[in-house]
Amino acid sequence: MTGPRSDVNGLAVRGLSVAHGERTVLRDVSFDVPKGTVTALVGPSGAGKSTLLRCLNRLLVPQAGTILLDGEDTAALEPCTLRRRVGLVGQTPVMLPGSVRENLAYGLDTATVTEPRLAQALADAGLDRTFLDRPSGELSGGERARVALARALTREPELLLLDEPTAALDAAASEHIGATLRALARAGLGVMVATHDLPFAATVAEHVLMLRDGTAVVGAPAELLAASPSIPGPQA
Amino acid sequence: MSQPLTQILVSAAFVLAAAWLAHRQRLGLSRSLLTAAGRAAVQLAVVGALIALVFRVPALAIAFVAVMVLTASLTAGSRIRALPGARRIAIGAIALPALGATGVLLAVGAFAATPRAMIPTAGILIGGAMLATTLTGRRLVEDLIAGVDEIEARLALGDRARDALVPLTRRAIAGALVPLIDQTRSAGLVTLPGTFVGLVLGGASPETAARIQLTVLLTLLLVQLLSALLTAELMTRAATLPGERVRVVTSPEGHRVR
Repeated sequence: MTGPRSDVNGLAVRGLSVAHGERTVLRDVSFDVPKGTVTALVGPSGAGKSTLLRCLNRLLVPQAGTILLDGEDTAALEPCTLRRRVGLVGQTPVMLPGSVRENLAYGLDTATVTEPRLAQALADAGLDRTFLDRPSGELSGGERARVALARALTREPELLLLDEPTAALDAAASEHIGATLRALARAGLGVMVATHDLPFAATVAEHVLMLRDGTAVVGAPAELLAASPSIPGPQA
Repeated sequence: MSQPLTQILVSAAFVLAAAWLAHRQRLGLSRSLLTAAGRAAVQLAVVGALIALVFRVPALAIAFVAVMVLTASLTAGSRIRALPGARRIAIGAIALPALGATGVLLAVGAFAATPRAMIPTAGILIGGAMLATTLTGRRLVEDLIAGVDEIEARLALGDRARDALVPLTRRAIAGALVPLIDQTRSAGLVTLPGTFVGLVLGGASPETAARIQLTVLLTLLLVQLLSALLTAELMTRAATLPGERVRVVTSPEGHRVR
């Protein structure tokens, strides 16, 4: 038996369904996240945005459906390898003990972790290299969010999933993150960003995936966002 | 008045005084204090009678130790029931180190291989193993609940599920050994440990009591470390899922598989 096929260079999701116990969270959801593009994932709180992102790097195993990476079923990939290829920055920017440098280099081969690579990842996330030796416990919420993004970028993923990356940021910092994601996509990275910030989604994304009542609608930002002028944000 | 009667009367008077004091201070503890005292009296009376029987019929000693292991495992297992197989984990983490060390102490002749020596020795080591298992397990369950974001962050960075749990298990093991390390360090200075007190009151010389107490304390250090390590290892196995995932524990009472 052969499963769904895809020629998409990036992630192709086909017929994804997830239930938490009795409650169906996602029902037969299909979409693509091609490399070189930014896709915004929007929807009300509890619509399953975080659940969907966690399925994409198999922190969560869906009840049904196939997720293909460059045409290959991710269920057949070694999970740790998949998670290095498909990076995820969670909604809570968790800092591991130690300095920012130790956070960025976490789990990487020390021979490949060069100073310029770390500094570049920090710069992409909007922080300068003086942050490298700062203890991670002393960072503000916004700085943590950016270090978490830099930490994912240090792994040089092929796709990057971000869950509410601008939640702890002010307008200027959000704009910077948006520009960074655009630049990363131009450099070939596939980006999927879950957000309740519709103007941010409209600015940064070519495609929008809207989740509502467990199903998904895919479209261009203007048409989808115009149809949904307000989406309640995450609970404070 | 005979000495045994005096012992019972004076200790009963003390616990009544404690209950009265708690009542006056409106601590809501009077009933618990009296119930605990009553339970202890009944349990010790029954155990005293049972042990007297076991000393006369040595074959019963094994059964007695088995009951001790089972009771300790039920108690410790209830603290980690958030994970599947909690009781099995507790039995393994308590029985292997405690009975292993008891066996060594008896086999090399440190204590006589008689029920009179075996039961108290096994009892102290099983109690110590239970404490280490409970403390390690409870801390680990708390951290599995509170640390879900940290665990997922490590998994997302490419850690194996087992590696993502290592910081949690190290913290839990280190925390579990603190009470015993403190007790060992302060033995004789701050407190006179139970074995020492019991032996001296029972008529042993202070030198003998000190030597036996030291043997017990030092044995406990290894037993409790092994119990904590085994608890952490068995709980790690119970908490990891296929596909390098970690079981989501939502409350100390239960778990669910995502």
